[in-house]
Amino acid sequence: MRWPGLAVRLAARNLRRRPGQALLLLLTLTIATGVLGVAMSLYGSADEPWNRTWRATNGFHVSFTVYHPPDEPGDRALVAALRRRATTQLTGAPGVVAVGGPWSHLYGSIQIGGGSEDLTAEVRDPRPSEVDQPLVTSGRWLGEGDGVVLESGLAATLGASPGDTVMIQGRPFSVRGVAQTVSRGRFPLSRPAQVWVTPETARQLRELGMAEEGFVLQLRLADPTRAAEFVAAHQSLQTVPSSSSIVPYLETWQQRRSESHSDIDIVAGTLFAAGALIAVLTIATASVLIAGRMAAQIRQVGTLKAVGVTPRQVIVVLLVEHLAIAAVATAVGLGIGRLLAPPIAATSVTLLGRPQPPPLTVTRVAIVAAVAVAVVLLGTVRPGLRGIRQSTLRSLATGPRPPRRPGRLAGLAARAGMPLPGVLGLRSAWRRPGRLLTNATGLALGVAMIVVALALRDSLELLELRPPEPGHAASDAAVAVLYDQIRAIILGTAGLLLVLATLNAWIVATFAARDAARNQAVLRAVGATPRQTVIALIVSQLGACAIAVTLGIPLGLGLWSLMEGGDLPEANLPATSLVLLAAAVPAVFAVIVSVPARLLARQPVAPLLTYE
Amino acid sequence: MSMVLEARGLVRRYPGDGAPIRAVDGVDLVVEAGEAVSVMGPSGCGKSTLLHLLGGLERPDAGELYLGGARVDGLSETRWAVFRRRNVGFVFQAFHLVDELTAVENVELPALLVGVSRRAARHRAMELLERLGVAERAGRLPDHLSGGERQRVAVARALINQPLVVLADEPTGNLDSRATGDILRLFGELARAGQALLLVTHDARVASTADRLLTMRDGAIVAQTRLGAGTSVAGLLAGLAELGGER
Repeated sequence: MRWPGLAVRLAARNLRRRPGQALLLLLTLTIATGVLGVAMSLYGSADEPWNRTWRATNGFHVSFTVYHPPDEPGDRALVAALRRRATTQLTGAPGVVAVGGPWSHLYGSIQIGGGSEDLTAEVRDPRPSEVDQPLVTSGRWLGEGDGVVLESGLAATLGASPGDTVMIQGRPFSVRGVAQTVSRGRFPLSRPAQVWVTPETARQLRELGMAEEGFVLQLRLADPTRAAEFVAAHQSLQTVPSSSSIVPYLETWQQRRSESHSDIDIVAGTLFAAGALIAVLTIATASVLIAGRMAAQIRQVGTLKAVGVTPRQVIVVLLVEHLAIAAVATAVGLGIGRLLAPPIAATSVTLLGRPQPPPLTVTRVAIVAAVAVAVVLLGTVRPGLRGIRQSTLRSLATGPRPPRRPGRLAGLAARAGMPLPGVLGLRSAWRRPGRLLTNATGLALGVAMIVVALALRDSLELLELRPPEPGHAASDAAVAVLYDQIRAIILGTAGLLLVLATLNAWIVATFAARDAARNQAVLRAVGATPRQTVIALIVSQLGACAIAVTLGIPLGLGLWSLMEGGDLPEANLPATSLVLLAAAVPAVFAVIVSVPARLLARQPVAPLLTYE
Repeated sequence: MSMVLEARGLVRRYPGDGAPIRAVDGVDLVVEAGEAVSVMGPSGCGKSTLLHLLGGLERPDAGELYLGGARVDGLSETRWAVFRRRNVGFVFQAFHLVDELTAVENVELPALLVGVSRRAARHRAMELLERLGVAERAGRLPDHLSGGERQRVAVARALINQPLVVLADEPTGNLDSRATGDILRLFGELARAGQALLLVTHDARVASTADRLLTMRDGAIVAQTRLGAGTSVAGLLAGLAELGGER
């Protein structure tokens, strides 16, 4: 058989010989890549529907909006001056091929359910605009006669259709039509609500008390990709006296698109953070799994070298084995992402049509594959290099390395009167410092994830306690739905993190029991009871757990400080929670270790004495 | 002499390709206090398995086992462990020392398990190591000891609690003549203290130092030879003398 074929065959044999471990690795990896895959497919899944609406409405490339708080009189003269200046400066600027507006904005309120919501009425000439002509989805656009056109999100929230009546400023107005635009986000996540009105209707609204709150001017450029350049060239328009309450801002179409789907972005961001946390723990799981079988793997490297396989070929065998798992996990993760992202995105209230996952770019695939690649490196580099650096004979003989000097801690503990099983456990604790550190690292990540999970839980409680904003019932309801989604993701993530942390502890415990099998049998042969050997094994593993708690709690708090802020309320974990955690983790870990330890203690001694 | 160990119809089977393999096949055996019994036979005939059964490291599939007058084949793992720490001393062919414990700590371990104070256990352990010529290595970990030194530490560990019976699997297999002599001298003292010794060996000269020789084949005892009535100590000493003469 040729070498590549042999490498694949050897790798396949390795996987088949340890199907449980391979499946476990694949499962944990797939959970991480799956969550990351969904996040990656979710990011930008609303872009294409947005693009469709943008094209259909001749959406702007650059928009200039001037806003001043309606409850403050503001500087009318300054607003008027800005309007004139913008009209002159922007509409005549090189590269501008079409202009929409300026359109005045009136501020008022619209009745929704039992309450009222802030409303902006955009005053439009009924004739079609060259820029941002809203796409009518039902009914008619503005024209002769009365009535308003509702932004589609507002219509959906109201459950209103053409011919219905809406209450604006306490007076009924008939609905002429419903339309979509990209010039602002969909209500209710984007506030205030928006209607389009004719100058005649605007006059009626002013009489009803609606106040001027600014205007918008929209431009299309010959080259839309130069929108940012255009904005940079006209920065001076955004400068107003600091004493003024006027807010003028220029915006590119790309900026608006990226801000149009805050709910999807928040869900995707939360999923991404969840995926990253799960990925970290998955890498920890992989590292304890790989450390656990390091000796066998190095022995195999020795065997391969003994029969004439070159060091490079050895690395290839290890790479093929781990790449197979990584490739499957990445492919499944990406597939899960493509499958689940559209239905998740479809729950968005900001979406302008059917969601469409973005194409798989190298970057997106690389982000999902990163966790799998990390595992490949972990699984290949260390055993590969160790096996190659060591002589063939030493690689072949690799087993648990005996300690080099007696542990002092155990001696001190014995003199302090610690019971014998505890002393024996302490003696074993430092036997394999490398393994101890790997286990401690894996467990520390688990502890850190528990801290993050606790902080997430507290953060959720704070979310629930957040008082509703008066006058924004519809928006609050939409935000509540969004928070429910985030809550579900966070709770699911916290649960997964706990499961993975427990799984890590279980793997550590199982390998520890396997390593200790011969020693435990010797102890029993000289008269130690099974219970004493179980205690010794538990004590031997508590060192790693103590390190994990010491490192894991600050690490978790650090991770949380990176995650919080933004959309999550700040949660301060009380010291008592952390103290309880510091006490509970070793207790739970002891229970986990006791399971394989008890199973080991039930086995007859003689076969274990020959265990390798 | 009183009976220390009695096995009746002891059977131990292992799964084979077809029918189970009878590693120990209906062994009947009685060992008296102060008696030294050696067991010989070809590799794989069941000698080590018999020793494991007699010390409770494996459970028999059939048969009865009495130690110190008490029936022990049905004891739980815990009760067996407690019984073993006081009444059975094991010497393994592969030493089976605890890697993390120094030589002296390995020796004193069974004494600590039965509740002897640390000071007394250490004193007794050092005394045994002294007599076996490895006292100066007491603070070393097993990995830093030679095969012969490890074997002597294992013997000292088996003897520290002055058990009713010492079960030794090739206890001199890794030793030079001098060390073998030290160990056989120590075993000789067992008889004087009324302790019994069951010794698995391939070395006919070591076997001949016992009171009785059992020959095993295919899991069964096929021959018993009394090497000299009432000459157990003399037999051991004679063996020692012979070995000593070779030095």
